[in-house]
Amino acid sequence: MYNGLSLDQAPPISVVLRFFLTVPVFGLLLALIVFFNPHAVLTPTHPLSLAAIHLMFLGVISMSMFGALFQMQSVLGGRPIPSVLGNAVVIHLFLVIGVLSLSGAFVFGIPELFVIASIFLGGSILYSANLILPLLFGGTSHDTLRGMRLALIALSLTAVLGIVMASEYANLSFSAFHDAIRSAHYSLGLIGWIAVLIVAVAFQVIEMFYVSTPYSSWCKRNAFRVIAVSLFLKIIWLFTALPYVWVFDLVIGALLIGFVVTTAKRLKMRKRRVSDVSIWFWSLGIMLLSLAVAAHILFLGAAYPQSQSISLIAFALFALAVILGMMGKIVPFLVWFHLNSSGIMDAPIMSNIIPQSRAKGVFTLFLLTSLSALGGVFLIELFVLSGLTAMGMFALLLINLVKALQLYRYTLTHGKRFEPLS
Amino acid sequence: MILLDTREFDHPVPLEMAVDAFKKLTGDEVIHMIHRREPIPLFEIIVKNGGRYLSVMETETLWHIYITRSSTLELEHTHV
Repeated sequence: MYNGLSLDQAPPISVVLRFFLTVPVFGLLLALIVFFNPHAVLTPTHPLSLAAIHLMFLGVISMSMFGALFQMQSVLGGRPIPSVLGNAVVIHLFLVIGVLSLSGAFVFGIPELFVIASIFLGGSILYSANLILPLLFGGTSHDTLRGMRLALIALSLTAVLGIVMASEYANLSFSAFHDAIRSAHYSLGLIGWIAVLIVAVAFQVIEMFYVSTPYSSWCKRNAFRVIAVSLFLKIIWLFTALPYVWVFDLVIGALLIGFVVTTAKRLKMRKRRVSDVSIWFWSLGIMLLSLAVAAHILFLGAAYPQSQSISLIAFALFALAVILGMMGKIVPFLVWFHLNSSGIMDAPIMSNIIPQSRAKGVFTLFLLTSLSALGGVFLIELFVLSGLTAMGMFALLLINLVKALQLYRYTLTHGKRFEPLS
Repeated sequence: MILLDTREFDHPVPLEMAVDAFKKLTGDEVIHMIHRREPIPLFEIIVKNGGRYLSVMETETLWHIYITRSSTLELEHTHV
């Protein structure tokens, strides 16, 4: 009757939503920093810039990806995470304390906060990897799971290098390898963790959500191998100071452009051309990824300083676009699914859980934030404006999530129960 | 037999359609859902609400799912 997988795999709704609900809170903090300190945020290696980068990549992007991982591992991996609720509570709490202390360490320059951040962030990330990675080996295996493995390994290494750098900042003593460690930390975090997990998710959801042709098996089989080998060699090159390290960036850039082209084709070839906000987010996201790659290559070739900022901002916005698009699909689905599996007859339909008008509102504010943040690299007033639009976007996202949760709780208590046939 | 061909609907519309039809089932009625993949979350909803299902893979992208609320009906006999 059932093909090898057990029922009851989906974790409780609170497991995923606790991560998702934290995302807009960190997003609002980030937007405040951008709004009040635009010059500092745009100055590479300025403490406020580092605080903003970590709020974005850890507090917003990684926080969402952890929530998604808890759901994906249980459903796609076929082997549920043990004690899922308790583990989610601990990992989430450690992440929140870690992100707050790391941002605080940069903003206020308090060395002890770097130590606290190392303990909590390092603890949560390495504990999560230790918890989830073994479940990804030995059971069912497909391309998305292979991507999840690489992403978690890269995240663990990013955390280890982050701890080394945090100890350098805490002691204000930087080793001869500081630049190599920083470059490896960025490459593993941005490409190995974020890009790989998004590509892995795309392999699964583009075909499933939008009824399109699957990615080619060659592409699915080799994408993660190419990224893993390129990152591995890049790190060796960085630490041994060998020349031509940029070659690995070119290889990864070419692969990401290949991903953009194949994804765009699949979005265009979908069978039912229904208007969907999540498709707008994916389309904008892959445009932003192309811009990030192009700006990085320009930086490698011409060392044009603004192109580095453009590349980093466009990459962060690419990841955020995919996350917002997917959240808009996943949250209504989770509310609907958990209500129905609890026997509620009159569970609201998914399109009523986050109404289109509010979903479109988040997209419009995201588009404005993207345009003003990228334009802000050249005109600081636009960067200030991006802080303002980002505040609106994260506030609306928070409203959408809270209202979805309220609807879930209300319907669970007051909804009409399903009557089995006698 | 209620035929539900959901192959060309974006996820998660097929699940909504199947659950909606499941709630309206009476007696020995059976839903025959044709889908492009195995709708695993649907099974949890059906089983938790006292239903039963049979999932048959024809090819990797063609699945037949039979759903009933009857506790006695032999679903294997409905698959042809």
